[in-house]
Amino acid sequence: MIKAENISKSFQGTNVLNDVSATFKKGQNNLIIGQSGSGKTVMMKCIVGLLEVDKGNIFYDDRNFNKMSFKQRKELRREIGMLFQGGALFDSMNVEENVMFPLTMFTKWTYKERQDRVNFCLERVNLNNVNHLYPDELSGGMQKRVAIARAISMNPKYLFCDEPNSGLDPRTSVMIDELIDELTRDFEMTTIINTHDMNSVLSMGDQIIFINKGEIAWKGNKDEILTTNNKTINDFVYVTEMAKRLKG
Amino acid sequence: MGPLYHLGRYALLIKRAFKKPDRQKVFWRRVLNEIDKLGVSSLGIVLIISVFVGAVVALQAAFNMESPWIPDYAVGLTTRQSIILEFSPTIISVILAGKVGSSISSEIGSMRISEQIDAMEIMGVNPASLLVAPKVLAAMLINPFLITLSMAVGIFGGWLGALASGALTGEMYVFGIKSFFHLYDIFYALFKTVIFAFIITSVSSYYGYFVKGGSIEVGHASTRAVVSSSILIIFANLILTQLMLT
Ligand SMILES: Nc1ncnc2c1ncn2[C@@H]1O[C@H](COP(=O)(O)OP(=O)(O)OP(=O)(O)O)[C@@H](O)[C@H]1O
Ligand SMILES: [Mg+2]
Repeated sequence: MIKAENISKSFQGTNVLNDVSATFKKGQNNLIIGQSGSGKTVMMKCIVGLLEVDKGNIFYDDRNFNKMSFKQRKELRREIGMLFQGGALFDSMNVEENVMFPLTMFTKWTYKERQDRVNFCLERVNLNNVNHLYPDELSGGMQKRVAIARAISMNPKYLFCDEPNSGLDPRTSVMIDELIDELTRDFEMTTIINTHDMNSVLSMGDQIIFINKGEIAWKGNKDEILTTNNKTINDFVYVTEMAKRLKG
Repeated sequence: MGPLYHLGRYALLIKRAFKKPDRQKVFWRRVLNEIDKLGVSSLGIVLIISVFVGAVVALQAAFNMESPWIPDYAVGLTTRQSIILEFSPTIISVILAGKVGSSISSEIGSMRISEQIDAMEIMGVNPASLLVAPKVLAAMLINPFLITLSMAVGIFGGWLGALASGALTGEMYVFGIKSFFHLYDIFYALFKTVIFAFIITSVSSYYGYFVKGGSIEVGHASTRAVVSSSILIIFANLILTQLMLT
């Protein structure tokens, strides 16, 4: 479980997050949705500490992240996996080295053991025989999947995904969504996902928070989002022609 | 942002880079890699420039000192001192600042903008230790070899230049090379080299590490890295020369 308590963040005077509180539960998909520029990435980076919050506290299962020393944060981060919006694969390393990197840094396993783990993770994301390719030799969807494999290689307790399916075709996006969903349940992770893809919202939104103008404008789940009368969220959901017609 | 801001942030980065590595084995493997990348790949340019500049220095010395009052071996002596004291350690370092500095800052800078550095941070890896320190160490270890080689090749180039000038014999040049030789000069030159290697790699890493924005900013950063490290080398040279030769 991860808890954000009254966090605020501004850049040069512009408020991006304003007193935001939320609880993200274990073993389920916690979605953060909102328009482009609404502060989803900033929120995620504040939670993992890539950005310092101006105000507020973040708890990882009752451990106060803001009160941790540099060293304690480093320890905690071994329990975190993160999928960046752009993949962030190490482009000087091939697929196998990318997924193996955290294992090499933090385990005392033999090469064989690490390789087995890498292959297990790559199989989980349906990638075979790409171990020796470099990131620039992969398609966008394959890069995303390698990034997921790297994020889960250390068996994280907390998984962060920043727009896991932006820029992918519908079929591949659905596949990635299903994959994250499966991993979350199989490994009992606390998963936080940023997205503005309505299909992801409806298929995997166990818990959804909607950020608008730096504040949480709505909370609920994938069923509630279709029935709510909240105007801001309706404006967000029913913006496309298709959605409007379906609502009828 | 003022110079104090940069200085402070630079000092913090260097401090973080030289913390105990997360994994010794990985760290030292990267140092070896960097030695290969920074050292071996610079060999060609260093050798070519050294042999030609050595030849030109000797030619100039021969033409400008054609006087009955100056002995012929002075050509060898002048060439040797110019090369050992300044050309090899300082000018070659400035050239390396251009070659190595820009590649370091664009490599680290593009890792920054594509969030690869953040990805390391999230894993609990110290990116400064893994990316910056090996480059700094590698250059401090390998540049003295490069510069020693440059000295040897430069003096050899001088011999070719001396012969081409027709103003003196090869024997006279060699005699000049051996006259009034102090080992301290070599020590002084290599000491400077190590300091310059630190400047080049750490300053360029700094500019790359704190890039914000996109690929245009990565380009700006590498220009700034080369300009700053070249100026700092020349400046440090003045101070070191003052301190060590007087
Ligand atoms: N480092 C930064 N410095 C200044 N402003 C920033 C910084 N990072 C984000 N912002 C601003 O914060 C706001 C929210 O950005 P953020 O990246 O969180 O949006 P987002 O919801 O993730 O959008 P998208 O869906 O397009 O990824 C934007 O207005 C952006 O300009
Ligand atoms: Mg974003």
